Amino acid sequence: MFEREVLEVDILFVGAGPASLAGAIRLRQLLRETGKDASVGVLEKAGEVGAHSLSGAIVDPRALRELFPDKNDQDFPFEAEVWEEHLYYLTGNRKIPFPFIPPSMKHHGCFVASLGKLTRWLGEACEKDGVDIFCGFAGTELLYDGDQVIGVRTGDRGIDKNGTQKPQFEPGADIHAKVVVLGEGTRGSLTKIFLQHHKLMDQRNPQVWAVGVKELWQMPLGSVQPGYVAHTMGFPLGHDVFGGAFLYGMKNDIWDLGLVVGLDYKNPGVDSQHELQRLKTHPWIHSLLKEGKMIAYGAKSLPEGGWYSIPKLTASGAMLIGDSAGFLNGQRLKGIHLAMKSGMLAAETISQALEENNFTETKLKDYEDRMKSSWIRDELWKVRNFHQGFDHGLLGGLTNAGIGLLTGGRGWGFKDRLTSKAGHLQMEKGLKIDRYQDLQFDGTYLFDKVTDVYHSATAHEEDQVPHLHVNEPDICITKCTEEYGNPCNNFCPADVYEMVPDGESQRLQINFSNCVHCKTCDIMDPYQIIDWVPPEGGDGPTWINL
Amino acid sequence: MEILIVLEDNHGSLHRMSKEAIAGAQKMGGSVSALAIGSNAESLAAELSGTDLTEVITVNHDLVSSYNADGYAEVVKQVVETEGPKTIVAGHSYQTRDFMPRVSAKLDIPFIPDIISMDDGFVKQVLNAKLNASVTTGSGQMILSFQSAAFSEDDIVSGECAPRSFDVDLDSSIVRSQSEEPFQEAAGDVDLESADLIVSVGRGIEKEENVPLAFELAEVLGAEVSASRPVVDSGWVESFRQVGSSGQNVSPKLYFSLGISGAIQHVVGMKGSKNIIAVNKDPDAPIFELADYAVVGDLLEIVPKLIEALQTE
Amino acid sequence: MKIAVLVKQVPGSESVLPISDEQTWIDEHMVSFVMNPPDNFALEEALLISETEGDGEVVIVSMGPARVQKVIREGLAKGADRGIHLEEDGRIETDPLSIAKRFSSVLKEENFDLILTGLQSDDMGMGQTGILIGELLGMSTATLAMETDVQNGSIRVKRELESGWFQWVKMPLPASISIQSGLNTPRYPSLKGIMGAKKKEVKVVSSGEHQTASKSQSIDKVFVPQTTKQTEVIEGDADAAVTRIVEILKSEIKIL
Repeated sequence: MFEREVLEVDILFVGAGPASLAGAIRLRQLLRETGKDASVGVLEKAGEVGAHSLSGAIVDPRALRELFPDKNDQDFPFEAEVWEEHLYYLTGNRKIPFPFIPPSMKHHGCFVASLGKLTRWLGEACEKDGVDIFCGFAGTELLYDGDQVIGVRTGDRGIDKNGTQKPQFEPGADIHAKVVVLGEGTRGSLTKIFLQHHKLMDQRNPQVWAVGVKELWQMPLGSVQPGYVAHTMGFPLGHDVFGGAFLYGMKNDIWDLGLVVGLDYKNPGVDSQHELQRLKTHPWIHSLLKEGKMIAYGAKSLPEGGWYSIPKLTASGAMLIGDSAGFLNGQRLKGIHLAMKSGMLAAETISQALEENNFTETKLKDYEDRMKSSWIRDELWKVRNFHQGFDHGLLGGLTNAGIGLLTGGRGWGFKDRLTSKAGHLQMEKGLKIDRYQDLQFDGTYLFDKVTDVYHSATAHEEDQVPHLHVNEPDICITKCTEEYGNPCNNFCPADVYEMVPDGESQRLQINFSNCVHCKTCDIMDPYQIIDWVPPEGGDGPTWINL
Repeated sequence: MEILIVLEDNHGSLHRMSKEAIAGAQKMGGSVSALAIGSNAESLAAELSGTDLTEVITVNHDLVSSYNADGYAEVVKQVVETEGPKTIVAGHSYQTRDFMPRVSAKLDIPFIPDIISMDDGFVKQVLNAKLNASVTTGSGQMILSFQSAAFSEDDIVSGECAPRSFDVDLDSSIVRSQSEEPFQEAAGDVDLESADLIVSVGRGIEKEENVPLAFELAEVLGAEVSASRPVVDSGWVESFRQVGSSGQNVSPKLYFSLGISGAIQHVVGMKGSKNIIAVNKDPDAPIFELADYAVVGDLLEIVPKLIEALQTE
Repeated sequence: MKIAVLVKQVPGSESVLPISDEQTWIDEHMVSFVMNPPDNFALEEALLISETEGDGEVVIVSMGPARVQKVIREGLAKGADRGIHLEEDGRIETDPLSIAKRFSSVLKEENFDLILTGLQSDDMGMGQTGILIGELLGMSTATLAMETDVQNGSIRVKRELESGWFQWVKMPLPASISIQSGLNTPRYPSLKGIMGAKKKEVKVVSSGEHQTASKSQSIDKVFVPQTTKQTEVIEGDADAAVTRIVEILKSEIKIL
């Protein structure tokens, strides 16, 4: 019973998101073309594909069309083609349309989609094609032979909150693979270690992040036109916090409302879930949602750094794809097509590597070359300095972006590369301000965090060591309280971190069971003492069509 | 006869759910009779002598002196075939669940179980009680079972009825199982889900030292103790007492909550409770929207006084 | 020993359940389907019995549209040997007697020694199918089994009774038993199990082949439970509150 299962596959993708699934499908296509066979596995920590997938989203169909040349757009699991789009500047009670929408922010020709639905669809295509998707298994360690990655170890099951083995203890399994492709999504936990181990971020801009929080609203029959798209700036974030809102019309009369908040704000009191509630106080939003019922909530971070924050992508036996590598176009607000394309390019390299039986870094580097001569590069190069402009506030960012449109992406028109600063370093000591004093949660339209989290249907095995490792907990009740006022209570969109009274002072309570796996804490904690590691396989949110 | 109630023997006297079934059956209109099976059949019938029923049929055969599924199902079948009731009714007890489906298959008639009301067709809960469904049958005859407390024994109409014994045809080819004596097991984890009375404690109890108050109140009431998540997380009560989305789901006759705010994660685990008394300092606590009785006050003051008052009752 | 485990695919408990336009069931667009949680215990019990007995097979059986293949494969990944899928098109059947007759027509020729089911389904909660099948196929039956003990040609079952009572019952095989949740700890599928599942046989029986019995009960409509709740607010000092509470307990809730 205590024996570790050992499994051999040829290629292992970690994370059943769009990057890995597209990669696995592409790989099987190539193997069929060359008449070869190889076993392809995908590891997924959620109990089922799609349960941990969350995005807005508007999908550029380019990658899907390339991956499935025989299919039509109607075959893809989209909600609807974008047919009406708006860009607004919001004040507390007005909405002002932008005089024009820059072409890069036009979404015509793209599709409103649910990432959860899309990944489930891709997952089914994978399984039909003989790919094994192992759900409920979290990759917790990379296995090495010298400097070569040779596989992934999955997490143990059945360890209680004190770290002791329970009767149903099962050690994690070792999966050996010729290539491990890390498609863990945003702020991947294996990726974080992988980047450090191989120094893959050397000479790159530090990655900068944002967090997206969203609610799905079920509206009465016939009241939502699928394919409606609106993006906003201004209220509630104002000019000093990067981000904006999105409102997408989905099928079945569902409004998809969300807010992206840059994780590089100065005020430690910023709370993305509260900001989303503030957004709903806007009369225009209220007029749209008031007859409806909130049916789901979720949150996820996103890598906003762009081109210069993309790490070196390979080491011997391993590659990075998708959001784990930072392939997101912050200006177009799209990353799914880039994630898929990166997976597909990785598959092409892997197919060759299998032919030559060579999985060293020298061979796998071919993936990076392919990426640099693909449309991923074309697209991301043009917006390589997008996020950095916002270090100077909203107007600065828009100006920089505008000039960038005319200069092929040069920072402020002349600089090839603008640097960036890690977001958690932007938080200012002693500056915690409460932006939410006027916010009243009524439980039917405006929700407190605990109620919102309930609608993520997140659950964790209660009797386990919390998967949020706070490496120096003393800081929480001393330095952090003084300097930043314990911002974890605010930046976590799931009410995981709570300062509770403890006799005369206080202590940090970690309600890990609420965690929605957004990774914001790992990103934003000012002392970088929080390590998010995967909980027991199968734990986490159960998102359906988020 | 139109309605036949199949009675259940609870260690020698009539099971509470059988009494509730009588109340329910009497509301349906039509002539109502009852059936008692087993060695205590006559004394069960005697319990009903002052009840408004046509009669109580008693079956006392060696092979059904105590409960077994094979025998009971066959007995009911034979009685129904002879007496021809349109509707067979019972309480939705573990015993009914054990043998009534056999009757349904033997007679080829539908069994609608766990009914909570008959106001709008036969109403039963579906999808973990998130929704109700109104069920209809196309069939002439049917079997119904009523959920605990769907009807109240207080509503039984009095009258008169006499027993009549009925001979059944049973042999060991039909009754093939052998049951041993029922036994009780040492109380392990408390089964809150079948508890009738619960005292539940939340953060408002403030300190671990105050938790025994809840247990004392429970003892005086003959209730079980449950808790909301934060109390369990703080280690003040055992985790099996947790009620809520990640704990147990309860629907007792009385849910007496002390210092529980009513967060949705907790409420989903107890909103099926038939009577809710909530004590909380905060007049805006969400639990008050759910409560039948909202006591706005300091539980640390109220509970000790309540315990005293109850002890004198 | 040949064991069949009947599993049902039901909406996951975290699914949003809006009522459909016809109001006869829910609209499934936000539903995530899972194996009925009680059935998991039945499956585990079957696997444990099979492992103890040493030979024979465990067969997963499910009725429903194409999507139920997912729960069949889940059972195969956990160790079942093969599967049988009774295809259902159109509206899902809700009448336990009809369902049982359809299962019986397919299971009859297999001559299972044991049929195990979960205690009831999370969606309909009728709790009868296994026992109906048992009666239709002339098998012994028992419900709410907290422990099973297979012997030569017979099975002993520890039935759960109300209020902490239990009872052992011995009956000849073949038997159809419903399993109480919590009697075992369902295993996770292993990686090899997941990989191997796709190679195991799943027999598909089209809906025309399992006889369509006439329906004897059906759902007319579903609706949200109405709470006709009137809250009585009790304020004032502690003594007054206590007096009122005692009165409520005595005369209104009647538990004293």
